[in-house]
Amino acid sequence: MELVSPFDDRRRIPEPLAPRPSELAGRHVALLDINKRQGEQFLDRIEYHLHRAGATSFRLTKEIFSKPAEPEIIRRIANRGDLAVEGLAD
Amino acid sequence: MAPAPDFVLPSAAAGPLSLQELTADGPALLVFVSEECPTSTLTLRRLAPAVPALQEGGLSVAAVFADPLEVGARTARRAGFSTTVLSEPAPYDISRAYGVQTVPTAVLVDPTREIQGRIVGWDADGLQALLDNFSPASSPPRLTRDEPLRKPGCAAKCTLDPELVARLDAAAPFDELEEMFERGWTDGLPVIPPTPERVQAMLGGRDGAESLGPVPPGQGEATLERVAACAVLAGCRPDYFPVVLAAARAALKPEFNLNGQAVTTQPAGQLVVVNGPVRQAVELNGGVGVLGPGQRANLTIGRALRLLVSLTGQGYPGRMDRATLGHPGKLGFCIAEDEETSPWEPFHVERGYEAGQSVVTLIACDAPLSISDHRSQTPEELTRVLGWAAAATWSPNWWPLGAPSLFVICPEHAEMFRHAGWNKDRVRQEMFAAVRRPAGELRWGETTPQVLGARDEDLIPKWTAPEDILLLVAGGEAGRYSAVLGPCTGMGEKIVSEEVRWNS
Repeated sequence: MELVSPFDDRRRIPEPLAPRPSELAGRHVALLDINKRQGEQFLDRIEYHLHRAGATSFRLTKEIFSKPAEPEIIRRIANRGDLAVEGLAD
Repeated sequence: MAPAPDFVLPSAAAGPLSLQELTADGPALLVFVSEECPTSTLTLRRLAPAVPALQEGGLSVAAVFADPLEVGARTARRAGFSTTVLSEPAPYDISRAYGVQTVPTAVLVDPTREIQGRIVGWDADGLQALLDNFSPASSPPRLTRDEPLRKPGCAAKCTLDPELVARLDAAAPFDELEEMFERGWTDGLPVIPPTPERVQAMLGGRDGAESLGPVPPGQGEATLERVAACAVLAGCRPDYFPVVLAAARAALKPEFNLNGQAVTTQPAGQLVVVNGPVRQAVELNGGVGVLGPGQRANLTIGRALRLLVSLTGQGYPGRMDRATLGHPGKLGFCIAEDEETSPWEPFHVERGYEAGQSVVTLIACDAPLSISDHRSQTPEELTRVLGWAAAATWSPNWWPLGAPSLFVICPEHAEMFRHAGWNKDRVRQEMFAAVRRPAGELRWGETTPQVLGARDEDLIPKWTAPEDILLLVAGGEAGRYSAVLGPCTGMGEKIVSEEVRWNS
């Protein structure tokens, strides 16, 4: 039976993951706040542990949690950060 | 070495395929299998993970089923085998020409169409050695080493009594409705198979390649052909398609933020409200049982939009759609306003359209909460009953909502407002003023920053402004049951409208 698919069957090539770092010391970590309630509390705790491990960090905040991050946010993470942590919360 | 007999066989995805085509760019691995044979299924399942790397390395892989094409495609899909599927009908001369006595038999054919080797039954080491020797890739993929490493096959159909083969084939009939479930082209209910003829009829001469843009959350492209396929699956008549298209165009407007709605843990679905002459043209229900079953146009238009999100957009419940509970309206949620009974201007006119225009409006909202009131004697009383029913929507202590509430006012309730001469603004103002609670009574569990920052005696309204109270009239002529539909919150989404275009 010949059928018309409702799916977009184009195969997407996944972006390869960046190499995993062996340690955190000396790394600059992007902390992305997606702008959901209590997200900053989670990131505060992550930041505390990152600093104890010798990493530095910087914060970015999405306009709203329910939409994809703006390209500028992604560009800044890619340009300035060695690592990124995104905090989902509620 | 022996020459590989040539063949042309129907394939599941690409029409007839010949051995010449399969070996055009390199060697080919032909795996002769049949649906009834567990070892055949095992072989396809074990081979499947290696197929992409084998094909990228220049080796074609094809399963040759001694079964009808639909049966072969379904068996391959169940085994996760997503490459070429061929079907050889009785009397199986090609299997016989390849000397296949047992299925599975894997035969490696080089580009000069010489047979370089064969593996009978499931033999992980033997098959690995064959691939290592003949795959053009520098490092052929490894087959998994899960047990069993060897398993005997089954008698090939070409070796069996034709009458027995006929009985075997009859035992696996093809059921087109079950096929839709197998493919996952469903929302959990039976669907209409989108044959090319049905999709063309749905398109009604429109260009199927035209795109409405990517559908969140998976960003599958909403070509008109795929929208039409969803409309066929949903059970739409072709004359509903302009309404489906308008709903799809509205849903894909960035300000509606379908992306957030499609993946949220909230229950919200997308309600389609239809106004204007198209309601009569396609027999949309705005009367008795408007929020329930019974009318094909309502149920299938709403369902078509939801299938577009779930299938083309990959927002399938439990996968990218993470709704904790969901609600029944997420199967499809479409109503018409009863403009003829309403004492007020129609919903679309409020939103800036002319009364004679046909318009769909999309609202992200929760399941309806029925409000019974058969005793109010004044519009003031009725307004309080309706308004206070909304107090518990989203959360009993989340005041103000920060999002709209949609009231579906039944004709008998609407008549009371008509008789009193109350327009929509009056109802909104009265409701907004009436539904307030002291902050001290709202300060437990999930509550808002406004409540937390207020004094105990400060009165907090349920809505940020009267404009968040949406009113439309629909329902049966008898019975004083209206309804309120809670919101989807925090998505930053807007209510969106789109005119129905008849020919584009």
